[in-house]
Amino acid sequence: MSEPKKQLSRREMLRRGALGAGLAGVAGTAAVLAARTARSGTVWQLDPEKCIQCGNCAVNCVLDPSAVRVVHAFALCGYCDLCFGYFPPGFEPDDEFETPGAESQLCPTGAILRRWTEGPHFEYTIDEALCIGCGKCVKGCGAFGNGSLFLQVRHNRCLNCNECSIAAACPAGAYRRVPADHPYLLKGEDQKA
Amino acid sequence: MASRKLGPEFTYDLSEFRRVDPDLIHYEQSAAVGTGLKEPRGIAVGPEDRLYVAGDRAVRVFGSDGRAAGDWATQMDPRCVAVAPAGTVYVAAADHVEAFAADGRRETAWKPAGQPSLITGLAAADGDVFASDAAACAVWHYSAAGELLGRIDGRPAPAAAAKDAGGPGFIVPSPYFDVAVGPAGVLLVANPGRRRVELYTYDGIFKSSWGAASFKIEGFCGCCNPTHLSALPGGRIVTSEKGLPRVKVYAPEGRLASVVAPPAAFDEAAAGLDVAADSAGRIWVLDPLARQVRLFTRKKTAPAEAKP
Ligand code: SF4
Ligand code: SF4
Ligand code: SF4
Repeated sequence: MSEPKKQLSRREMLRRGALGAGLAGVAGTAAVLAARTARSGTVWQLDPEKCIQCGNCAVNCVLDPSAVRVVHAFALCGYCDLCFGYFPPGFEPDDEFETPGAESQLCPTGAILRRWTEGPHFEYTIDEALCIGCGKCVKGCGAFGNGSLFLQVRHNRCLNCNECSIAAACPAGAYRRVPADHPYLLKGEDQKA
Repeated sequence: MASRKLGPEFTYDLSEFRRVDPDLIHYEQSAAVGTGLKEPRGIAVGPEDRLYVAGDRAVRVFGSDGRAAGDWATQMDPRCVAVAPAGTVYVAAADHVEAFAADGRRETAWKPAGQPSLITGLAAADGDVFASDAAACAVWHYSAAGELLGRIDGRPAPAAAAKDAGGPGFIVPSPYFDVAVGPAGVLLVANPGRRRVELYTYDGIFKSSWGAASFKIEGFCGCCNPTHLSALPGGRIVTSEKGLPRVKVYAPEGRLASVVAPPAAFDEAAAGLDVAADSAGRIWVLDPLARQVRLFTRKKTAPAEAKP
């Protein structure tokens, strides 16, 4: 029997180690970004391979809530029924777990949405308006899953400060300036500036 | 700028689940072998309880006492290894299997079975070789000579009406999917996305399954576990998990019998803990981050094992 198309494409991506992340609104913000980056042609971004999810991204941005949000690399995701980026550690599934209540969700702000796709597979999307960039779900996904959730500075929000106040507080040295025409450092993609 | 603070609800804490009742830990580490490999990926035990370690374009062989006994270069990048009772050593790259004589001579390279392919587990019996393919979500069944005999996908045959005849097949969310040969013609397959171990005939007929999703020590934690498994003498099964790295032994019917190594025995990020048992029931555990294979033996104080 042939594999579901989505699953095949995910596996193909897994194999190649390449992916695309779900970054809604990237194209729509290009003009804003161009205006903000006219000075230097660069913007701030964090390297998800270096980030240790210390929490500083949520609380050190000059913006409140932070310009940092979680993004989801769908091609790396396992579309798991029991995603531990979505469920809290120790969550014990019962017959009702397909429609979990807020108390069964890991994200304190309820920013992760779970939707059944097919068979035992579920899709997880981020409501960016609710996400504050705390990184808790990134930890869960990294520990148990494929690490498909990760933090990024969202350039439809970031003010591109001369000195990014998160960069100054980042214990992992994860921040650097990247070219404004490649403003995201997506896991698995060779976008190194 | 004064920094804001995150409340305690934003803390991610696994410490409660890393603790294991010491009375359940029936094994202790008795030795560790440095593999000398940067990325050791798979282990197997062969005749005379020799230990085989694959990785870094090599297979390293150690005696049962852990002393180096061979170092074979491979042309491919090996991901897993299995040894047949007669001594033939099978090594798999992502997309194909190669067979080596007991002295390390490469005998054959088999044609890739699927595309895309990511072979992550190998098992060898007398005359049969099984390769679990995480990309195909299937186990390839070969003859010892490399002829493809079948594809086991864990889905029920169209006529099978039984509720538990196999369900949606093998669910493999991450690149860990293992297979092992059990006693008397039984094939053991980890179905990680269903958090269980499934038993098949060599022809791919589903027989039974056991295992449940749970952070409790009896269960398989996270989205996709166990990552590895192997049969012990007497029909028991040793499994390993990622997320909460832990190695456990189950009775043939799936009851937790012993903890071999609790999460505290490993780095928090440990994964890829391949397992292999020798004829005395000693358990080798590959620890890729430590680049070691660690030997666990039953404690003298452990309670007697229940007879299967
Ligand atoms: S401050 Fe650095 S380490 Fe902390 S969450 Fe942000 S990028 Fe990650
Ligand atoms: S857990 Fe934190 S980073 Fe993840 S979606 Fe919720 S608010 Fe955003
Ligand atoms: S550059 Fe300024 S707005 Fe952008 S993430 Fe850093 S502190 Fe926040």
